[in-house]
Amino acid sequence: MNDDAELLERIRNGATDDFAEVVRRHQGRVYAILHRYERDAHKIEDLAQETFVKAWRALDQFDGRAPFDHWLSKIAVRVALDHLRREKRRQNEIGLPELGDDVLDWLRSGDEKSELDGRAAAELLDLAMRELSPLDRVVITMQEIEGRSVKEICEATGASGVAVRVRALRARGRLRRALEKLMQDENEQPQVEPIV
Amino acid sequence: MNNRKLNQLFKLARNEPAPAPPEDFAAGVLRAIHREPPGAATEAPSVFDRLNLLFPRIAFGAVVVIVVCIVLDFGLTAAGVPGLHDGLSQISAQWLLAPDEFQL
Repeated sequence: MNDDAELLERIRNGATDDFAEVVRRHQGRVYAILHRYERDAHKIEDLAQETFVKAWRALDQFDGRAPFDHWLSKIAVRVALDHLRREKRRQNEIGLPELGDDVLDWLRSGDEKSELDGRAAAELLDLAMRELSPLDRVVITMQEIEGRSVKEICEATGASGVAVRVRALRARGRLRRALEKLMQDENEQPQVEPIV
Repeated sequence: MNNRKLNQLFKLARNEPAPAPPEDFAAGVLRAIHREPPGAATEAPSVFDRLNLLFPRIAFGAVVVIVVCIVLDFGLTAAGVPGLHDGLSQISAQWLLAPDEFQL
């Protein structure tokens, strides 16, 4: 199996169709990044395609000093950031999805022992993260969910180290408040008596 | 909502697997690339992009040129040859700010 450098060299020399192999090698990583910012599978596919097309356009700028997947990840994060900015503008037009009972039980429980599956947790976080600015969301997601270092976040977002730390701290506070508000809103909803 | 519960939420969300790309995803990307206008992949970067890429080298080169000029100026002055400062003073004294020109 050829490594990325050899494959990319062939593509630069005109073997455009070999880019399909690049896509096959790295599509999993790109999907893994993008699904942290978008829940709809079709939209993730569109964003992943946009990421690879942008990478293809900018291939001449890849100098090989860092691994190709790091470079590609940065493009994916930028695509996600642009997507969040577009979505933020039309966020008010979309109604909030309802929270399931398991999510509400988890929110109401005071301890950390109660269980919640990964999908429900991601949905709840997605809902709470709508309160954050797009850049704050990317910063907190990269730091807390993807486990990236401050340096990696700086490289991907173009923000300074201080800005990343401040944004992460602020985002945590806002997330806590958003989750508390979600819980309050659900508690205040009038209970509908079942018709017998 | 305390910090520990928020951390637990992050940890739980981390476990959610990413959706798998469709089988023909790579082919779709390739089709999108083929739809690109010719030359898009090798499109020349703008002047600002090039300057941005070259910035550290340009800045270093500029500093070197400035240092060389200053050293040269001091060296010439020390050797008794009119330096840059003298030349400028001479020009401004003779041509630009010649005192005789302003006498009425």
